[in-house]
Amino acid sequence: MLNDAELLRYSRHLLLEDVGETGQLALKNAKVLIIGMGGLGSPASLYLAAAGIGHLVLSDFDSIEVSNLQRQITYQSDDVGDSKVEVTKRKLQQINPEIKVRSINKSMQADQLTMELTMADLVLDCTDNMQSRQLINKACVDAKVPLIVGAAIRFEGQLMFFDHSEADSPCYHCLFPSSEEQTLNCSNSGIIGPVVGTIGTLQALEVIKYFVGLPSGIKNKLKLFDGKTLDWQTFVINKDPTCKVCGHL
Amino acid sequence: MKIQVNEQVVEVADNTNIERLLLQLDKPLMGSAVAVNQEVITRSQWESYIINEGDNISLFQAIAGG
Ligand SMILES: [Zn+2]
Repeated sequence: MLNDAELLRYSRHLLLEDVGETGQLALKNAKVLIIGMGGLGSPASLYLAAAGIGHLVLSDFDSIEVSNLQRQITYQSDDVGDSKVEVTKRKLQQINPEIKVRSINKSMQADQLTMELTMADLVLDCTDNMQSRQLINKACVDAKVPLIVGAAIRFEGQLMFFDHSEADSPCYHCLFPSSEEQTLNCSNSGIIGPVVGTIGTLQALEVIKYFVGLPSGIKNKLKLFDGKTLDWQTFVINKDPTCKVCGHL
Repeated sequence: MKIQVNEQVVEVADNTNIERLLLQLDKPLMGSAVAVNQEVITRSQWESYIINEGDNISLFQAIAGG
């Protein structure tokens, strides 16, 4: 049951046939791990806290730099030098005191990630480097935890959803099998704030849909967003039977 | 034969596989992803996958930023 404060707070959700009180309770019971509190993690965490995801775990080891403020909309100039997860946690609790927020202020290695995944219903990959992305993917495949991946540089965004609770699910490594390669990131290529914000916002939308039981339009698909034309392209991702990460499953 | 690559018409020889197409277009093999008619062709299939006349090929890169 939702209490009176929650009924009022979430009244615009409760009006929706697709959410209702059942859906709101599912959001309240949800445990979501967000890895990376940058340009993707900022809007994703703000929307998920506001929506009433009951248990949010935030992971990042960075402190806030002035060059982050152009796009990482959780932070303000006063926050420069402070820990991203600590500032985000404080702001999320200000937005919604009804939810629980926990912060992990370090770079998670495989062991800790595996432990965190035993407590997570779903993971958002909001990181900024290929090595972390491959590590998170492998951990989610092994733990059978659904993973929503966002990425952005310049005017381009990428969004995908793999439900690793399903045995025949493809994975991020099927699509991008190399982790050593020189990949494009925000520091070497630049990024427009609303582009990364769009992708992070859509990661949050997919989380809400997942917990209220709406089908995802992007499961086993890659969406490419072009911020110049506002065009979207959609590609089907098939499992690679020779994939080093998920091929044996 | 003619195919489309990222909405440009490209002329390729018969029996061109994806690896050869990338080399012909001077694209890096590392970090690239390829879709044929909106379906991603995983890297392990790049040698065996033969491109057909009129195929609509999309080339894009892994991006890691966030
Ligand atoms: Zn895989």
